[in-house]
Amino acid sequence: MSLAAEAFVSQIAAVEPWPENATLYQPLKDDQILLSDHASSLAVQAYLRMCTLPVQVACRANAEYMSPSGKVPFIHVGNQVVSELGPIVQFTKAKGHSLSDGLNEVQKAEMKAYMELVNSMLLTAELYILWCDENTAKQITVPRYSIPYPWPLNHILAYQKQWEVKRKMKAIGWAGKTIDQVYEDVSQCCQALSQRLGTQPYFFNKQPTELDALVFGHLFTILTTELTSDALADRVKNYSNLLSFCQRIEKNYFGDNDSSSIVGRTSPFS
Amino acid sequence: MGTVHARSLDPLPMTGPDFGVHGDDVEFVEVQPESKQEVLENKDVIVQRVHIDGLGRTKEDFLGYEIAELFTAKNLIDVMKKAHEAREKLLRLGIFRQVEVVIDTCQEEDALPNGLDVTFEVKEMRRLTGSYNTMVGNNEGSMVLGLKLPNLFGRAEKLTFQFSYGTKETSYGLSFFKPQPGYFERNFAINLYKVTGQFPWSSLRETDRGISTEINFPIWKTNHTLKWEGVWRELGCLARTASFAIREESGHSLKSSISHAMVIDTRNSTILPRRGFLFKVNQELAGYTGGDASFLKEDIEIQLNRRLFWDSVFSASLWGGLLIPIGEKPSCIADRFYLGGPTSVRGFSMYSIGPQSEGDYLGGEAYWAGGVHLYTPLPFRPGRGGFGDLFRTHFFLNAGNLCNLNYGEGPHAHLQKLAECIRWSYGAGIVLRLGNIARLELNYCIPMGVQSGDRICDGVQFGAGIRFL
Repeated sequence: MSLAAEAFVSQIAAVEPWPENATLYQPLKDDQILLSDHASSLAVQAYLRMCTLPVQVACRANAEYMSPSGKVPFIHVGNQVVSELGPIVQFTKAKGHSLSDGLNEVQKAEMKAYMELVNSMLLTAELYILWCDENTAKQITVPRYSIPYPWPLNHILAYQKQWEVKRKMKAIGWAGKTIDQVYEDVSQCCQALSQRLGTQPYFFNKQPTELDALVFGHLFTILTTELTSDALADRVKNYSNLLSFCQRIEKNYFGDNDSSSIVGRTSPFS
Repeated sequence: MGTVHARSLDPLPMTGPDFGVHGDDVEFVEVQPESKQEVLENKDVIVQRVHIDGLGRTKEDFLGYEIAELFTAKNLIDVMKKAHEAREKLLRLGIFRQVEVVIDTCQEEDALPNGLDVTFEVKEMRRLTGSYNTMVGNNEGSMVLGLKLPNLFGRAEKLTFQFSYGTKETSYGLSFFKPQPGYFERNFAINLYKVTGQFPWSSLRETDRGISTEINFPIWKTNHTLKWEGVWRELGCLARTASFAIREESGHSLKSSISHAMVIDTRNSTILPRRGFLFKVNQELAGYTGGDASFLKEDIEIQLNRRLFWDSVFSASLWGGLLIPIGEKPSCIADRFYLGGPTSVRGFSMYSIGPQSEGDYLGGEAYWAGGVHLYTPLPFRPGRGGFGDLFRTHFFLNAGNLCNLNYGEGPHAHLQKLAECIRWSYGAGIVLRLGNIARLELNYCIPMGVQSGDRICDGVQFGAGIRFL
């Protein structure tokens, strides 16, 4: 969008208060949603809860195609549709809700850098494991992705998506990696996050920010999703401060009876 | 064999091919035959042989059916008429560029005194014809390549391929057509296509990739078509500002349907007919042969034409349609009906009648539309006998309604719903006929019965198309 149009839209957004019927759309929870999409959706839900903005979660089989950018989740607020965590954070900021106002410039830059790390390492690793690891792709990803469609559309769409992801991996240089190298990368990312977190409750001491929401979304999903092997979850479990971080956020922000919306599988903490 | 010219033995004039009479040089001796006047119409003839010259890849047994009628001719006029009909049939096959007929007496040894030889001199079409155009449309340019292979295996099979490569969309179509030997009206066709469409009235973009097979056959005076079609439909929003109702329809779906259509057409022309009627009914059942779209769809089109005083024609038409979803899934926007526009209820914007959400028209599951027209030649008949005959003035009255139905209620409630809030319009305009395929209209329309949400186009409206209400 042009600069003037963006300014105009954010003016409009700023004028209206957050409505009661804001809705977040994601793929079907039990049968269809994949690890990477669930992580992104959980991150957005955590962020909105941290801002105390009410949002209902609706599951649609065609959520990916409904989204204006092609990625889930997206929120429908008033008559605006915004997708992905980054733009959603901007959108809520325009409405006057922000978690990172208390940070100084250096901290904001650091936060952006860590968010970029999570997106380029964790998210990419999740996509790699889902689509480029033949075992996982055949047993889990393809059956789940194609469940809403009849034959032969299910095969066509699943393989089209797989081809797209593989092409993206090639473009960023991950095509040559083996699964063990990917697990290694995940480990290193977790180590960096663990070091930054240290013994603090949240990444920037007392108050959670969008970085906390993003890290929680990914780590919690990795811990609670069943894949063909536990190798990925085990790498995260090596860092006990990350485990307690996830537990803390789950208790504080998802502790009400809405926790059924995030834990469809057995919790690793019980 | 009338007069015979004979010359004396004087030397030939040496001035070249000038056979003019040079006065005393040449004597003409005319020999008149006996004046035996035969009335050729009543003379009995037998067609002994029919030749077809110029065949290359066409199989002879296939053509036997087209020319078989000729052998039953009894007299000369009959032979000429049947030869003309056979020529038309051969041209209709679409495999010959040119067909000439030569009727001569039989020259063979076993020739009967009244035997005739009929020869069709044909020129086959080339094996491959192609065309290449560039098109510029709505903010888009494209290249269109067409290839046609007529008479592929010798029995009038036809393969056509069209490919369009544009700045925004790419589409293609491959089609194979085969008639039944001896029965050209019975044929079947297989099509493979990818078609993209943009519908700004709904902010919707649709891409269809499909395969269909159909069989056409006539029964008595009606023409029937049975078709199976499998289409992969992809819907998307045309703009960021599309309404949420349209956004919810985005995604992929698969429609596998069987349909049957029946057509009775006694009009003398498809565009601006002067007499005759058209009755077309189409039904489609989807969902029982796979796919996830599941519905029963009915569509009717009726048109009556009658010539009135002073070269004017009165025409009345009625359209109607019904879409019944089967199962709990609601109907998809790609299957619903639309109403309004210069080709349907004039005076309203294109497909801008009925249920809508934030300015995007969603279509409806049931509709009806009717129109009465009076076509007259242009006032003062300019250009009569030539260009002016392509134009007509017309006065019209159109009406229609489109809505969604709740199939839990009875048919009485449905009829009531379709009868309230009728949109209608009247006006006058000029119609231009383009060949036998399309027509252009320029009308002045006054829309009435406008409901909130409809978009109107009152005043001058221009329309171009093939099928008009």
